[in-house]
Amino acid sequence: MAAFVQLVILGLLAGGVYVAVGVGFGLVWGVLNIVNLAHGALVIVGGYVTWQLFTAFGLDPFLTLPVDAVALFVLGYALQRGVINRIIRAPLLFTFLLTFGLNLVIVNVLLLIFGSDFRSVTPTYSGQGFELGGIVIPYVRLASLGAAILLSTGLAFLLSRTRVGLSIHAIAADRDAAQLVGIDLRHTYAVTYGLGAACAGVAGGLIAMIQAITPTAGEPYTLQAFVVVILGGLGRVSATVVGGLAFGLVEAFGQSIPGSGSVFANAIAFGLMVLVLVTRPQGLMGRLR
Amino acid sequence: MNTAAEPQLELRGVTKRFGGVGAVDGVTFQVEKGEILGVIGPNGAGKTTLLNCISGVHRVDGGDIRWEGRSIAGLPPHRIARLGIGRTFQIVRPFGSMTVRENAAVGALFGSSAARRGLKEAFEVADQVLELVGLKAKADHPVSALTIPDRKRLEVARAVATRPQLLLLDEVMAGLNNVEIDEALEMVRAVHATGVTVLLIEHVMRVIVGICRRAIVLDFGHVLAEGEPEVVLRDERVIKAYLGERYAKRLRGERGQDSAS
Repeated sequence: MAAFVQLVILGLLAGGVYVAVGVGFGLVWGVLNIVNLAHGALVIVGGYVTWQLFTAFGLDPFLTLPVDAVALFVLGYALQRGVINRIIRAPLLFTFLLTFGLNLVIVNVLLLIFGSDFRSVTPTYSGQGFELGGIVIPYVRLASLGAAILLSTGLAFLLSRTRVGLSIHAIAADRDAAQLVGIDLRHTYAVTYGLGAACAGVAGGLIAMIQAITPTAGEPYTLQAFVVVILGGLGRVSATVVGGLAFGLVEAFGQSIPGSGSVFANAIAFGLMVLVLVTRPQGLMGRLR
Repeated sequence: MNTAAEPQLELRGVTKRFGGVGAVDGVTFQVEKGEILGVIGPNGAGKTTLLNCISGVHRVDGGDIRWEGRSIAGLPPHRIARLGIGRTFQIVRPFGSMTVRENAAVGALFGSSAARRGLKEAFEVADQVLELVGLKAKADHPVSALTIPDRKRLEVARAVATRPQLLLLDEVMAGLNNVEIDEALEMVRAVHATGVTVLLIEHVMRVIVGICRRAIVLDFGHVLAEGEPEVVLRDERVIKAYLGERYAKRLRGERGQDSAS
């Protein structure tokens, strides 16, 4: 029983990062209909921003998260406005090609600037934790989960209770009708992609505290984001939160199966995604449209 | 007509082609401030294309569109909306993920002179507009719960919430029964009474006759006739465009007998 509870807790803690990785990806997919293959690269950019601020100025990595968000928002806004907006009415394949290309460019720029060494962010409290009923809870993991929940709540609030959020909803519902009530399509698209990138940046900051990063480490996060969004269901932040936590749980239990280790964890997670797609294509929390 | 006052909206030789076919071909007319102008014509005459040109959905291939003396041809749709030209769609296009009230509020938030309108104020405007079109009781309903006539009302409400000076209505009466048409007519009159110029595309002739002082007939992208609705509808070219040459001849024959007897 204690082992079971421990697995649940570890799974939820790991899920926090998946939530953070997933929300931005889900937003961009849901609103812009872009499966953003550069998402993982943007996550890693956020990781490097945190690493840079931590090593150069000794800033606490959790305090760098807002900087990650702002920096990546600006980068994302510029990418959408300058590059991706040009193919917004093109078939889906073009967005795959373009975002895949962006992924390569970002990765190589990072290699130029930071080299291919592994970098890690290790504040004094990293590796420490507290014990609760025989279960060790690492501080960083717990704070990451908190940060991810805060990020999702903030995003959900922004989308449902603000002017910007209403414009994003309107554009997602009917972009022609939205323009005819005075909403600037290109600006709103760029803001949406910027928000997605900002979430990716925060996720990257969290990841840099948990494991070492390198410019080429982003691709698994694109995949994870994909699985998380499918699991939860497209179109709502809360669904992605459920998807992320579910993914963390499945992974934790997958790794605990004797003899499986981390080798089968991914296979189990992707197997679950296929199962969800077959039995409940709208996702665990999704609504059929 | 006062020649010193310039028209609110002026189309000069507006042309829009789709693959060589002129859907709208050299259309010239003016809209005076405060009037209700009807635009009629058979299916495929280019009525909706014309609205798409004015509202910026289509970029015109030739001619000019002037709003209060300034050219607006080539501006993106959101800029034109913010200048004060509101528009509805023939096939209603509400924001399906929102409530009725939120739909109207989006119009109020982003429409003309909305530059710094707050969220709270936008919802107040939304409530006023919903009352005007008779949807106040259903403000908190999801859009999916609305009947077709109510969806048409919402379409108008969202456009009116942008505080337009000119409202382009694309067949808001189509698909409604007689009672519903009367209600919709009341709604258009109520909107017009708030000082909004109305340009309305319509198939239902009794709407045009009942509400417009002036009507324009489009056929194959050209202006076929222009004038008082009763006069325009008797025009032989108009009858021919709608009902074909044979019917026009027969009608001419009957009329000839009428005047003879």
